Amino acid sequence: MSEEILNALIQLFAIIAKQDQGLHPKELEYIESFLTQQLGKEAVEKYLEEFKRKATEEDIKKRRRIKSDKDKKLTLVSDSVRILGICRKINKTLNRPQKVVVLVRLFEMVNASRQFTPQRMAIINTVAEVFNISKEEYEEIRNFVISDKIEDLDYDSILIVDDQPVKCKKCKFIKTESLDGQIIILRIKSAELYFLRYTGNENIFLNGLPIFNNRIYLFPTGATIKLPKGKPIYYSDVVAKFLAEYSTIRLSFDVIDIHYRFPGGDVGLHRINFSESQGKLVGIMGASGSGKTTLLNVLTGIYKPTSGQVLVNGIDLHKDYEKLEGVLGYIPQDDLLIEELTVFDNLYFNALLLFKDKSKSEIVDIVNKTLKNLGLYEIRHLKVGNIFNKLISGGQRKRLNIALELLREPSILFVDEPTTGLSSRDSENVMDLLREIALKGKLVIVVIHQPSSDIYKMFDSMLILDTGYQVYYGNPIEAIIYFKTLDNQVNADVGECPVCGTVRPELIFNILEAKKVDEYGRYIDERKVSPQKWSEYFYTLKKIERVPTVHEEPKKTLNLPSKFKQYLIFLVRDIKAKLNNAQYVVLTMTESPILAFILTYLIRYIADPNSNVYVFYDNENIPPYIFMSIVVALFLGMTVSAEEIFRDRKILKREQFLNLSRGSYLMAKITILTLISAIQAFEYVIIGNSILGVRGMYFIYWFALFSTFVFANMLGLNISSAFNSAVTIYVMIPLLLIPQMVLGGAMFSFSKLNHKISTIGKVPLVAETMASRWAYEALMVYQYKNNKFERIFFNLDKAISDANYKQVHWIPALKDHLNDALDAWEDLQDDPEANVDSLKQAIKDDLLLLYNEIKEELRKNKHVTFNELDKLNLQDFDDDVYQKTMDYLDKLYSYYGQIFFTNDSKKEAIKAYMAKKDPGLYIRLRNNYMNERLQDIVTNAYEKYKILEYKHRLIRQAEPIYQDPDDSHWFGFRAHFYAYRKYFMGHYFDTYWFDIAVIWVMSILLYPPLYYEHFRKFVEWLGKINLGRLFKKLSFSSSSEGKSKAESN
Amino acid sequence: MLQPIRIQGTDDTPQVILDPNPDNPKFEISGRSLPEDVVAFYEPILEWLDEYAKNPLPKTVFDFKLEYFNTASSKLLLDILLKLEDMYDDGHDVLVRWHYPEDDEDMQEAGEEYADIVEVPFEQVPYSVD
Repeated sequence: MSEEILNALIQLFAIIAKQDQGLHPKELEYIESFLTQQLGKEAVEKYLEEFKRKATEEDIKKRRRIKSDKDKKLTLVSDSVRILGICRKINKTLNRPQKVVVLVRLFEMVNASRQFTPQRMAIINTVAEVFNISKEEYEEIRNFVISDKIEDLDYDSILIVDDQPVKCKKCKFIKTESLDGQIIILRIKSAELYFLRYTGNENIFLNGLPIFNNRIYLFPTGATIKLPKGKPIYYSDVVAKFLAEYSTIRLSFDVIDIHYRFPGGDVGLHRINFSESQGKLVGIMGASGSGKTTLLNVLTGIYKPTSGQVLVNGIDLHKDYEKLEGVLGYIPQDDLLIEELTVFDNLYFNALLLFKDKSKSEIVDIVNKTLKNLGLYEIRHLKVGNIFNKLISGGQRKRLNIALELLREPSILFVDEPTTGLSSRDSENVMDLLREIALKGKLVIVVIHQPSSDIYKMFDSMLILDTGYQVYYGNPIEAIIYFKTLDNQVNADVGECPVCGTVRPELIFNILEAKKVDEYGRYIDERKVSPQKWSEYFYTLKKIERVPTVHEEPKKTLNLPSKFKQYLIFLVRDIKAKLNNAQYVVLTMTESPILAFILTYLIRYIADPNSNVYVFYDNENIPPYIFMSIVVALFLGMTVSAEEIFRDRKILKREQFLNLSRGSYLMAKITILTLISAIQAFEYVIIGNSILGVRGMYFIYWFALFSTFVFANMLGLNISSAFNSAVTIYVMIPLLLIPQMVLGGAMFSFSKLNHKISTIGKVPLVAETMASRWAYEALMVYQYKNNKFERIFFNLDKAISDANYKQVHWIPALKDHLNDALDAWEDLQDDPEANVDSLKQAIKDDLLLLYNEIKEELRKNKHVTFNELDKLNLQDFDDDVYQKTMDYLDKLYSYYGQIFFTNDSKKEAIKAYMAKKDPGLYIRLRNNYMNERLQDIVTNAYEKYKILEYKHRLIRQAEPIYQDPDDSHWFGFRAHFYAYRKYFMGHYFDTYWFDIAVIWVMSILLYPPLYYEHFRKFVEWLGKINLGRLFKKLSFSSSSEGKSKAESN
Repeated sequence: MLQPIRIQGTDDTPQVILDPNPDNPKFEISGRSLPEDVVAFYEPILEWLDEYAKNPLPKTVFDFKLEYFNTASSKLLLDILLKLEDMYDDGHDVLVRWHYPEDDEDMQEAGEEYADIVEVPFEQVPYSVD
């Protein structure tokens, strides 16, 4: 309590005390004991003096004007106004429960002297009014403090504990064994506070401290009242009475002979049986590795038992899961909070996803109510933070996690180790909360590890597991007696410490796991009683009592919004979480422009060492820039997405448990990443292209890089969902990225790869799967073909190039083959003894090549005809055919010569026209828009072999940019690298758009594996094989270790 | 036009005049205030003030000239002062005059306490009693 508030309180006490007959010794006594509770000894004296002085102040001077006797008793006006001032000050500092406590203390002081004079009561009444305490609650508090008559206490906010029934209509009642007097408990609903008063003279204790007759005590959460005889009264018992008006659902939960065997073959659970109804808090206890979590997974329906059944209101959980959808709630040990969101938002988005029929304001109300119930309302605007960067306490975190599930009030709630890692105070708060939920008519099943005495006693039933065997089920205190009796211990019939009421649950484990002793008295590594034996004892000595099966349908509390709505909720949730992380926002938004700047600044090369003028045409680094940009897009795209799903996987697991749509979740993720990628690509291109002087291609570059980003996002999301550690994910990135670089087409020429993977005349098949290769080709081709300079000449250049190829390489090569064929044919005619077979083969080969090439030429070129095509074979070939073929080739030669000449003249004409119009225009255009190095690459300028022979075909290596793609397969889209257009399904497509479309198709194809988690399943499958073999090889691994490993998986 | 309030004082209730007549406005509570049911007595006054606050005179001078008031009344007097404070916060010209007999320290102190609680121009006006 602050000094300011204490001073205010002392004044308030003093003004009340000095009314009427003035300060009563009992009141002074009360103030002293009140101060002693709050303060150290010295401070008590100081404040007590202050109180005495104020309470006995001489007011004679002020009372001069008061003449009549009647007026003598009146409160001074200055005191009245002073009280108002004090109360208003308190209003500003104390919360509602605290103010209620102040009011109760005022009553208590007056009650100490029992001088309930009108002036005193008037002051307290005024205080209550300024505190905004309702008339009803004021009256209840007053009667609770000062009245002994049951009639005065007949409110539904009163609970009486007595050994005989009390005669009141509304008040609640708990019967106890013989008790002198009564314990009266008052609930202040508006502040959710409980006070208690004891009217008798026996020794009873509140949380271990004695309770004095007729003093008022705050009855705090989780408190226990110990009575001289009989069961103690728990806070939860009291709360249960007051909350009894909550409508209860009827439940039966039957676990019948559950056995569970792990996929690896190890037995996880042997013969588990229990049965419970609503309103119970059930514990599952056991040493680590005893199968607690496995059992929980079976009970929640996540694991299917090998044999046995779990029946909820008679419905088989594992067979008719849909019927029980939304009935079960599960709070795993993991943290399910989104750390960037506030306490409120975490609950709010969860609520949006769970209740489709509720309006926004209703949901806000539900969330606020839940937060208030769990004592989290005050911190609702705090960001949750992560476990390392704690913004809220461990207890608050846990309560918030529980709140996620409480929102929808499932009928059966499973909780996995809720107290692990919490302080004992927090643990008890959390357990109280769970107890309260059970009391509201739910069934709460909790896996608990090393419970404290108080927590252990809270449970209605306890199931004890020993290495997969059920060794006990029933009342927790009796469990201790049961095991002590079996162990033949002295005073086995005492479950708890008779003096202090403490129980020691660890005693059970000491007995269960007791080791044998050898003849020297040393413990040996063998248990006295095996788990199996304990289980047999249990089933022989105890009977599982089945609760009657309830046949009504359990209440469903899940009402999921449509997939599209879920998508929108996920989207907003994710965006909010991202925006709340300032570091993330700044980094993702600045990373790509910084990279663009560094890269392009470094490679802004000027060829002439004496010049300062940057010439785009001369910068040899443009093709590497294009390629690096693609690598940047892949890298950034992957890193930005690689942790997305991994970070959420616990939340995802829960959302899958709730049957929320994974598709909606993924689409929301993809939408956000796409948005980020669009921005990153935009920033990159604006900076990079401007610095390097890539003119007029902003959109084209942006769209190509953006598409690559999206592909990388999809790839990143896939690995993000496949692995379960951040390190593995980042190790995976190079593994995916390096092939993209190697097979991108820029670093290594496709025609010069290992023959095992390369395809002559086409892009190798593996490279076709690389987004980098498509993006690179798209940009290179577009940059070359569509720039403002080449655009003018491209069609002419293509015709020239084709004609030139035919004239210079193709026709001479064919003529060579034709001559060879003729030579061989003549040899065959002249010399019968010659090596007939090899000559024939040579002719065949040559003629087949000629046949193939000419057939293709005839298909495409109708201008020059040839009728001897069918004679280009061994049988029909003779010198006549030779001559006709030679004539055809000559005609072709002149035909292409004509084409070359026409187009070349046209080109020259254009150049001349340009020169006439503006002498510098041609060079200027070229320097600004054309890049020499890029031209060299797409025209394959440095290739030694302009033409290759392969499988009876001639393969053009010269100037691939002008070469038409292979159009012989209707569905075959594969072409040579840098083809200026693509052929697919009977149509030609511009390379840029076609390639980008391929990237999008690849991105879309990555969605099904993401949705169905193919990669994760594959990785798991790999893991299983290896582990299984390893385990057999390393046979020293004990079975229990194997089990716990499998369990933790 | 808001009807003025005029309540005659008795032994236990104060005299109340609330008259917004622009020519001769008068807002005054005087005498002794210990009504049996304070809320019932002051309720109409507070409601009247709410109505008045919607369209007050250019300047409102409110006089308190009390001989005695009990604790319960003190809360209601505060409510009146808070209404005046609201008017003042809304930008209206408001003045509270607290009249007390020059030898009545108690009433003087009460005025000072009120002045501390509410933020409104507050004038202490002693008067002599013969």
